[in-house]
Parts: sequence; C-alpha cells; structure tokens
Amino acid sequence: MRPWRAVRASGEVTVWWAALFALWLVLISTVDPLELLVGAAVSLLGALAARAGRRAVHDE
Amino acid sequence: MNGWTTTATVALAGGLGATLWGAATGPLHRRAVAQNLASAVTAPALLLLAQGYGRPAYVDLALVLALLGPVGTLVFARLLAGELADGGQSPGGRGPTLAVAAYGALVVVVLCAVTGPSRAMVKLLVVGVLLVAGNLIASKALSGGFGTAGASAGKNAGQERESNGRG
Repeated sequence: MRPWRAVRASGEVTVWWAALFALWLVLISTVDPLELLVGAAVSLLGALAARAGRRAVHDE
Repeated sequence: MNGWTTTATVALAGGLGATLWGAATGPLHRRAVAQNLASAVTAPALLLLAQGYGRPAYVDLALVLALLGPVGTLVFARLLAGELADGGQSPGGRGPTLAVAAYGALVVVVLCAVTGPSRAMVKLLVVGVLLVAGNLIASKALSGGFGTAGASAGKNAGQERESNGRG
C-alpha cells in the first residue's frame, strides 16, 4: 500500500509542478536559464503547497 | 490616439461610469452586482490600452485585476450573504453580466488574432479565461448560486451537494 501512495503523491506533485511551470513560462517576459531555474524552483514550492492545500480539504 | 485607445476610452467612460453609478446608488443587490461588473469592464479596457500604447507589460495590470476583482466580489458575497438573501429581490443582473462577459471574450479574441500565435497570445488567453470565468463564478456566488447564504451555510451547501448528486 505505502509505495502506491508514494507514487500517487509524486504524480500529483508532478502534475501541479508542470501546470505551475507552464504558467510561469507564459507569464515571464524573457525566457533565459536563470528564469527557468527560478521558475522550476518556485513551481515545486507551489506544487507542494497545492497538494498540502488539497489534502487539507479532501484527505485521501 | 488610435482605435484601441479610443475603444478603451469609450468602454471606460461608459462601462466604468455606469458601474460606479450602480455601485454608489440603489438597492444592495444591484450595488454588489455593479461592483463585480466594474472590474470585468475595466480589465478588457486595460488590455486594449496595452495594445494601443504598444506596451505588452501593461497586460499584467489586466491580469491582476482579472484575478483580484472576482476575489473581492466573493468576499462581498460571503460577508453580505445574510443581507443579500434577506433583501427579497430577484437575483437579477444576468443580462449585464453576460453582456460584459461577452465583451471581455470579444476583446481577448480580437487581441489574440492581432497578436498571432506566440507566448503573448497564451498569456492573453490566460487573462481572458480568468476574466470571464471569474466574473461568471463571482456573479453566481452573489445570487446565492453556491448555497452559502446566511447562517445556514453548511446546511445549504450539503443540500446543494445532494441535489447535484441526484442531478
């Protein structure tokens, strides 16, 4: 059971991260490596916060 | 002055003027609807001004307004839930809300066509979706569409969930 939960959790964080990173890419004015690095990092933070927020409402 | 800025000026003078008047006078429910429409009228005008002045960075203003306008309306809908439900007025405001949503969608589509396929166009689409969806969701919340009116918020929400399940 536990490994399956870990796979689901990492899958959810990955989907959130991809969506947030795509939004970052759309909203920045110029695409350069530093922007990509910062965007990837803050998207990961946002993805973790999004999962935590969703689980606070629907714990499953 | 060009076509974009002229259109934006006319929309601001007519639309924002009317919504400010609506928010400053009249019964509570109409004032709440009017303040919701104020941000929905202003954001497309900011998009038109960004195009008219050739400053894509100004699109960010419309983005922020499209995001925060509906959030502010949701706060009003929550805080004034009792008064809005007790007023005994019909929800109303459907026509102007749909007209403003259609105007926002039209502005975004025209600007997308002018911009052409690019990152800027995707950004415009993001702003447009936030604008139209936020406006419609906030106006639904104002008319009690999410069943959060008054002290019986939890009960109503539960009933709505049940009826959704049946539907």
